[in-house]
Amino acid sequence: MSELLKVRDLRVRYPVAGGIAAMLDRNRPSYVDVVHGVSLDIARGETLAVVGESGSGKTTLAMALCGLAPVLAGDVRFDGAAMSKARDQHLRPDRRRIALMFQDPVGSLSPRMTVRRLLSEPFRIYSELSQDPDRSVLELLSMVGLSSDFADRYPHQLSGGQARRVCLARALAQKPDLLIADEPTAGLDVSIQGEVLNLLSDLQQELGLGIMIITHNLNIVRHVAEQMAIMYLGRFVEQGLSELVFQHPRHPYTAALLAANPSTNFDVVPERIELTGEIPGLLQRPAGCEFHNRCPRVQPKCRASFPDRQSSNGKQGWNCFHPLP
Amino acid sequence: MTSPVLDVRRLSVSYQTGRGTLRALRNVNMTVQPGRIVGIVGESGCGKSTLISTIIRLLAPNARIDGGSIEFMGRDLLSLESEAMRALRGDGISMVFQDPMTSLNPVMTIGRQMTDIQHRDNRSRADKLARAARLLERVGIADPAEQLKRYPHHLSGGMRQRVAIAMALMTEPALLIADEPTTALDATLEVQIIHRLRQLQQDFGCAVLFISHHLGVIAELCDEVVVMYAGEVVETGSTREVFLAPRHPYTRKLLECDPGRIEESTRHLPVIAGKLPDLVDLPKGCVFRSRCDESIDICARKPPELEGDDHCAACHVVGQ
Ligand SMILES: Nc1ncnc2c1ncn2[C@@H]1O[C@H](COP(=O)(O)OP(=O)(O)OP(=O)(O)O)[C@@H](O)[C@H]1O
Ligand SMILES: Nc1ncnc2c1ncn2[C@@H]1O[C@H](COP(=O)(O)OP(=O)(O)OP(=O)(O)O)[C@@H](O)[C@H]1O
Ligand SMILES: [Mg+2]
Ligand SMILES: [Mg+2]
Repeated sequence: MSELLKVRDLRVRYPVAGGIAAMLDRNRPSYVDVVHGVSLDIARGETLAVVGESGSGKTTLAMALCGLAPVLAGDVRFDGAAMSKARDQHLRPDRRRIALMFQDPVGSLSPRMTVRRLLSEPFRIYSELSQDPDRSVLELLSMVGLSSDFADRYPHQLSGGQARRVCLARALAQKPDLLIADEPTAGLDVSIQGEVLNLLSDLQQELGLGIMIITHNLNIVRHVAEQMAIMYLGRFVEQGLSELVFQHPRHPYTAALLAANPSTNFDVVPERIELTGEIPGLLQRPAGCEFHNRCPRVQPKCRASFPDRQSSNGKQGWNCFHPLP
Repeated sequence: MTSPVLDVRRLSVSYQTGRGTLRALRNVNMTVQPGRIVGIVGESGCGKSTLISTIIRLLAPNARIDGGSIEFMGRDLLSLESEAMRALRGDGISMVFQDPMTSLNPVMTIGRQMTDIQHRDNRSRADKLARAARLLERVGIADPAEQLKRYPHHLSGGMRQRVAIAMALMTEPALLIADEPTTALDATLEVQIIHRLRQLQQDFGCAVLFISHHLGVIAELCDEVVVMYAGEVVETGSTREVFLAPRHPYTRKLLECDPGRIEESTRHLPVIAGKLPDLVDLPKGCVFRSRCDESIDICARKPPELEGDDHCAACHVVGQ
C-alpha cells in the first residue's frame, strides 16, 4: 500500500488566555501543549481510528493536519511531499485533497444556506469536480441515505443524525484523498451508522481513500479500522493493529478504556478497571508518564521519566514501563 | 401505583414545511414513574428530540401540536403560561441537549453561567462559584477553578458536555431530560456519568429521561426503554425484557445492527434495508411495513395500536 500521510512528532501549542492575575503568577505557564509529539502513518485505502480521553487533543490533531491549528514542531508529509507552513505556523494542506468532517455537525453548516447550496459549494470552488452540480448534489444525498427533498432544507430543520450525514456528503463532494472524520457516527442510530461506515469502506475500496476516524464509539473501531491509536493528554500512548490492541491491550489506560465500554450483555458483570486520581489538566502536565497519577500499575520510575516506545514485532506499540503482561 | 412524574398521552406534533405537513409525532404515549430512568431509542429522525422539545415547550416556530396531552407531576404542561413554563424549566425539569453549545452561552465564562443559574439562591458569589467548582469536579473536570474562568470555545467537546451536565444538575430537578448527553465522551467518562446519573437518581429520587443511540449505555443505565420508529412508539417495557426478548420487528432489527454484539470483525456492518417512510406522505397501515419481513394483509390497512401490560408492542403480528 502506498503511503498517503506521514506525521512525525507533531506538536501543537496554544497560548493560554489569561488576565493580569495570570501574568503576575510566574508559575503558571503561558501556553499549553495540546498535541505533544504524535507520529502516525496512513496508507492509501487504509483507516486509522483515533480513540482516547475526552480533551486529549484528538480534534486539535485533526485541525492541525488541516491547517486550522498552530504547529509548534514536527514533520508532516502528504502524498510524498512535505507540507509547508504559513507565517502563522499553520500547515498549508491541499484543501481539496484533505477533507475534514467537523465534530459538531450543526455548527459547521452555515445556518442560512440550504442543503443544496451547502453541497454544491465545493463545485463552485473546484469547478472541475462536477459537470452538473445539481445532479451531483442529488447523488451525494442518496449516497448518504437522504432523499432528494432534503436539498431544500436548512440545517436547523434536520435531526442531529441527518445533519451529520449532510456533513459527510459535503466532505465527499470534494473527492478527497484523505478524509479526516471527527466523530462521523455520533448521533446516528446503529443502522444508519452501519450505512455510513459501509459507505466509507466502499468508497475507500473504490477510490483508495485514506481515512482517519476519531471516535468514542469503541464498538465500531474493530470493524472499520485496521489500525488504531489511543490518545492520552496529547500523546499516542498505544498504537497498532486494532485486532491486537482489542485482544491484548498493553498500556493500562488502553485496558481501562476498552473495559469501560458499556455493553448490552445483561448477564455478564463488566470487569471495569477503576481509574482513581484526578484527570490531569494541560496546565499541570504531570512529570514522567502522564498517566501515572491514575494508573493502577504505577511504580516510582513512572513519576520520574517518560517511557520509550516498546513494540511487539512492529504491529503494536506502547509507552509504558509496566505494561500488562 | 404512584402517579407518574411525566405522562404523555396521544401526543401528535407536526412541522409545516415547503412540501406540506411533516407529521413528526403521532399518538405518542409514554410515562415516567418517579425515580425511574427511562431510555428512548430509535432511528435517527424518528422524533426523539421533537418529543423532548414538546415536553419542555421549546419547539421550532414551524412546529404545531396537533393533539394529546403532557402532564408533569399532575400539571398540564401544554396549557401552562409561558412564564410558568420558564420557571418549571428553571427548577422542575432540567435539560441536557445533544449539542452542548445549545445550553452554553459562547460569550460568557463558564463561571458566570454557572452562578447565573443559581440566581434564586441568596448565597454569596464566592459560595456560588465554589459550588459550581464542586459540581464540575463531580462530573470529572480537572482544574475546576481554572475552567470557571474560561469560555466554552476553550474547552473540548467532552468538557463542554460535562459542563452542561453539571449545570443541569445544579437545580436538583425532579426530572432530568438528557438528549444524547454522552455521545461526545470517552467510555471511561461515559461510564462515570452513567453512575453519576444513577447516584443522583438515588440521592434525589429524580427521574431521568435519557436518549441515546448507544444500546450498551441504555442497557446499563435505564430501567425501562421506549422504542420509537418514524414518529410512533412501537415498543415499551423493562430494558432487560425489550433487549433480551424484543417483540416488535423493528426492535429486533435494531438490536441485530448493534456493532457491539458482532464478535467477528467485519467490513460490512448489518443495516436495516429500506428507508424511513416520508413523514409528509405517510403510508397507510403500519409505518414499518415496507421494511418488515413478517407483514401480513392487515398491516397494509390498519395502523397497529400499542398493546400489552408491562411489555407492549405495536404490531399486528405479535399481537395475534
Ligand atoms: N483554541 C484553544 N486554546 C486553548 N486551548 C485549547 C484550544 N482548543 C482546544 N484547547 C484545549 O485543548 C485540549 C484538547 O482539546 P480537543 O478538542 O482537541 O480534545 P478532543 O480529544 O477532541 O476531546 P473530545 O473527545 O472531548 O472532543 C482541551 O484541553 C482544550 O481545552
Ligand atoms: N424545524 C423543523 N422543520 C421541519 N422538519 C423538522 C424540523 N425539525 C425536525 N424536523 C424533522 O422531524 C423529524 C424528527 O426530527 P427529530 O430531531 O425529532 O429526530 P430525532 O429522533 O431526534 O433524530 P436524531 O436521532 O437524528 O437526533 C425528522 O424527520 C426531521 O427532519
Ligand atoms: Mg474532539
Ligand atoms: Mg435528536
